[in-house]
Amino acid sequence: MTTTAPLDDITESMLEGPAPGRRPRGTLIGLGVGVVVLFAGLAVPYVITDTYRMSLLLDATILSLMALGIGFLARHLGQISLGHGAFFGVAAYGVGVATTNWGWSPTAAVGFAVLAGTAISLVMGVLVVRASGFGFLMLTLALSQALYSLSVQTSARPLTGAHDGKLLSYDREMTFLGLTQADVMNPGLFWPFAWIALTACAMVLWLVGRSPFGTTLEGIRENEERMRFSGYDTFLPRLTAFVLSGAVASLGGALFAINAGYVSPEILGFTTAGDSLIAALIGGFGMLAGPVLGTFLFVYAQANFNFGGNLHLFTGIALIVVLVFMPGGITGAFQKLWRRVRRSRR
Amino acid sequence: MNAAQVLNGVALGSLLMVLSSGLAMIYGLRGVANFAHGALYMSGAYIAYTVSDRFNFWLAILLVPLALAVIGVVLELVFFRPLQHRSHIELGLITFGLALMAERIVVLIWGERTLRVTPPEILQGTTTLLGVEYPTYRLSIIVIALALAAALVLWLRGSRVGLHIRAASQDIETAGIMGVNVDRVSLIVVSLGCALAGLAGTLAAPYIALDPGMGNAFLITVLIVVVVGGIGSIGGAMVAGMGLGVIQTVSTVWSPSFAVVVPYLALTIVLLWRPTGLAGKRVS
Repeated sequence: MTTTAPLDDITESMLEGPAPGRRPRGTLIGLGVGVVVLFAGLAVPYVITDTYRMSLLLDATILSLMALGIGFLARHLGQISLGHGAFFGVAAYGVGVATTNWGWSPTAAVGFAVLAGTAISLVMGVLVVRASGFGFLMLTLALSQALYSLSVQTSARPLTGAHDGKLLSYDREMTFLGLTQADVMNPGLFWPFAWIALTACAMVLWLVGRSPFGTTLEGIRENEERMRFSGYDTFLPRLTAFVLSGAVASLGGALFAINAGYVSPEILGFTTAGDSLIAALIGGFGMLAGPVLGTFLFVYAQANFNFGGNLHLFTGIALIVVLVFMPGGITGAFQKLWRRVRRSRR
Repeated sequence: MNAAQVLNGVALGSLLMVLSSGLAMIYGLRGVANFAHGALYMSGAYIAYTVSDRFNFWLAILLVPLALAVIGVVLELVFFRPLQHRSHIELGLITFGLALMAERIVVLIWGERTLRVTPPEILQGTTTLLGVEYPTYRLSIIVIALALAAALVLWLRGSRVGLHIRAASQDIETAGIMGVNVDRVSLIVVSLGCALAGLAGTLAAPYIALDPGMGNAFLITVLIVVVVGGIGSIGGAMVAGMGLGVIQTVSTVWSPSFAVVVPYLALTIVLLWRPTGLAGKRVS
């Protein structure tokens, strides 16, 4: 039961939210940092010449797109999704089907796949965004699991390859934005695409979060009912945010399929989405970069601590430790530390 | 379609009923969807394998729920109670982490290969029912599960503790103010829910093959059952579990690829038609 006047809370949370009109300089500085990070990242293949390390970095960058989408939804809408594997996976299969079955060029296939993943997120969004909390978690999980179950059916074999997965094949002359099939599998050559996609998406999501639309989302997150009473439509903003986050995950899935040249049904399954969610949680939702940091750590851990197939034992422990002792994740802990340092200086 | 297929559906439904009533009870009280429920069911089945291997199956039916009840006490005391003021989603994700760990621990102890449990001799063979020869063991699953469900409902409706559980599920704060010892009720509910998961695992062990993925496969169906039945409603979960079990098994006969999407379809339809589930009052 709250005793404060309902209106107070809304204005308060709105003022707290980032308002671009009031802080255009912050936006410019943020964009500047983003562009610097973008260009600095492009130099990575020249610094890291080891192919294995480079491929790990590339994997982490691609998977970060999914975590970024999950994080956006959690940060601005307070909704935890276990269904982003569906968008990632549908886009990945979209690339496979468009190139291998229809003979499209990889570039067109990626465009199609991102649209297909986004379309799935629109359909799923219509069904799930009204739910909140656990309802949302379970619905996203159930619907993505339904897609997984359909994809491994024998009748889906021509499209998805069922349990065998799908091997991409396209003409030797066809290229993905100038890269042949051998080139896209070279992590150093494919890196710029993944990195630009990640930084561009992160900047777009960051700007959306700071826009009036982002403020509306935060209002819905804080109290959906009050937003409705205040005359806001809450369905459309939630759906838009969901589709936006689904589109980012779809882009990740499409790039993943092009780079790997193979799509296994596991990526549609619950483990992929679960791993990505865990990575995002460990990184922390408080900052947009949190899920990305978490994914890089996760991929690093996967490569180095997976002895005896015990990775999930460790991720389970890590998840519990983070949730129990530092609910804001790693970036949250840093933010807290930073705030404490600043306060003690004053 | 013949009687045997319907009975198969009822047997699957019985297992779903036992599992989902435990999940629904915990959900109703703590507001947490226990993602570790599938892992508890799996651990139950594996412990039952060891006990029936060393001693006999009857002892397993007795011991496994007790062992799982102890795990439930640990769950409540270590996670649910100290963290009850955290958001429910966070607690749910912690149980997700526990499930991940449990799956690996089971592999470390029992290995990855598929294991089988033989039912006790009296329950082997078949019985003639409704004009068909039907495996006796599956019939006994149905009988045990139905008896258990009836006992659970009677206990919840008739006893003082049952009254407290129902009160706390409606509104835990008000129940606490009215003098219900909420911590004690919660301890009972969580350990009972875990014991039921263990019992479901034990009953399922001779019926299905044991593998470390069995918990996850079932968990999603059980979560769906609980949502379809109405979040927090035990009766709703029981009815939905039985219904889903029968519908899924029967539709497998018609079209296997349709049958796999039946739970998801049911979930989507029910939530579009009645967002709070069949027997639910609230969505949380």
